Amino acid sequence: MNLQWLHLRDFRNYRDQKVEFTARKTILVGNNAQGKSNLLEAIELLASLKSHRASRDRDLVHNDHAQAQITAHVQHDAGSVDLQLILREKGRRTASVNCQTLRRQLDFLGQLNAVRFSSLDLDLVRGSPEARRDWLDSLAIQLEPVYAYILQQYNQVLRQRNALLKQLKQREEPLTAHQSDQLAIWDAQLAAAGSRVTRRRSRILQRLAPLAQLWHRQISGETEQLTIRYAPNVAWSTDDAIAVQQAFLAKIAQRRTAEQHQGKSMVGTHRDEIELTINETPARFYGSQGQQRTLVLALKLAELKLIEDVIGEPPLLLLDDVLAELDPTRQNHLLVAIQDRFQTLITTTHLDSFHQPWLEAAQILTVTAGSIRAQ
Amino acid sequence: MNAYTPPLARLIEQLQKLPGVGPKTAQRLALYLIKRPEDEVQAFAQALLDAKRQVGLCKTCFHLSAEPICSICRNPSRDRATICVVADPRDVIALEKMREYSGLYHVLGGVISPMDGIGPDQLQIQPLVRRASQAEIQEVILAISPSVEGETTTLYIGQLLRPFVKVTQIAFGLPMGGDLEYADEVTLARALEGRRELL
Repeated sequence: MNLQWLHLRDFRNYRDQKVEFTARKTILVGNNAQGKSNLLEAIELLASLKSHRASRDRDLVHNDHAQAQITAHVQHDAGSVDLQLILREKGRRTASVNCQTLRRQLDFLGQLNAVRFSSLDLDLVRGSPEARRDWLDSLAIQLEPVYAYILQQYNQVLRQRNALLKQLKQREEPLTAHQSDQLAIWDAQLAAAGSRVTRRRSRILQRLAPLAQLWHRQISGETEQLTIRYAPNVAWSTDDAIAVQQAFLAKIAQRRTAEQHQGKSMVGTHRDEIELTINETPARFYGSQGQQRTLVLALKLAELKLIEDVIGEPPLLLLDDVLAELDPTRQNHLLVAIQDRFQTLITTTHLDSFHQPWLEAAQILTVTAGSIRAQ
Repeated sequence: MNAYTPPLARLIEQLQKLPGVGPKTAQRLALYLIKRPEDEVQAFAQALLDAKRQVGLCKTCFHLSAEPICSICRNPSRDRATICVVADPRDVIALEKMREYSGLYHVLGGVISPMDGIGPDQLQIQPLVRRASQAEIQEVILAISPSVEGETTTLYIGQLLRPFVKVTQIAFGLPMGGDLEYADEVTLARALEGRRELL
């Protein structure tokens, strides 16, 4: 797929800016805080409806304006599509495809696919399990948009069940039959929603892991062995909805006292872990920053390839301030991997640390205080 | 400084408390109202008070009613063997518009939501159990929206009633007149789940 142009109005520090992408690689050069990452963030929003930097839409809207508008034209193998997202300081977003406003924003997902790689992604290795779950979940949403709904359902069940457990904790008396019945219903709901989440997470990791291993071997020069293992909070072996739900219920029964004591859900996919190990050592303890970068690069390339396999079209690659940090060998691996198949947008403060082949045939744009010019 | 004289400001403030009414609409409504003849405004105020004072809940089904027993429950031509359980009086109104259902209703007054402090005890579930355990009841139809809270309520009531009465749930799926290709994945998955064998 090819993002042909992007038009930002009152988005972050942009007032009214249209950008045409004329080459497979576009390099956005500029000092810090000029709006390079904001542009990638706009594309990320079109791809996932989420931003990894802002939790509230009002942060995305230019000061003194009520709404921001992101419009884009995407060329697919079969036809092209116009995307528009309106973000408001107050109130809901409006998403439209080909000028048709969507009743469900879920339908917006999958129109544009992108993989983002920024220096924050080192958190995949060094950060908490939550960082890895979020990463896997946003990949899952790109591959199977319905997963966004499944995840939302799970989180709602979790919030409700936590509210109930908190209420029951305050009573400090043994549960009446009536209260146990109520809790049992939420147990069943958690098991049902949780089994959907865990089975999809497992299925996606199963496909991702071999791709990541392959890239990792290539980049690290065959010296290191990467293992990716899904460690769900509720262990299960047979991939069958009923069997997995039973595993949930069994674990909930086992942790009953602890849950009531804590007043919150201690069983469920919100406590899953994705273990990354290199040569049998947890990756976060293993090696230098450079080696951890290799791992993240391998994960991102695997993500890129998996989306391409599933969607049937190469997604966009967004490299946010990260390319200059890679040494020439790794830059080269990345270049070989993406070739001309993946449209790539790169932000950087300086061009000098770039490996020469990156600059060939690239469109170079300068970003200064929310305005973009060709160099 | 306030541009409105105090009685007008109070009226706008009251109107603005209504759902879906913002400051602009409240101002427009208030200015309209004070221009109307006094008897018309009097009738409006009286209608508000009457509705508030007279409309209560039916003692049997908990639908809105000015009588102790609502007109649906009193209607002798309705099928007394079937009860349709809904969350809200608005759902009764929607179902009645269809004119296809001839049974009785039971309004729960909400759905189970611990986050909002609503448990089974805050809903009309015990009265439903008493009604459904009467011998003449053949079927209880659960017609509650398929949200997380709605489904939890359906599951909970289903478990309570199943031992002594037939419990069914309305089907969820594609709207009539809607094209399959325009349906979203969630609805389609739901419709596929609830498929039936052709007879």
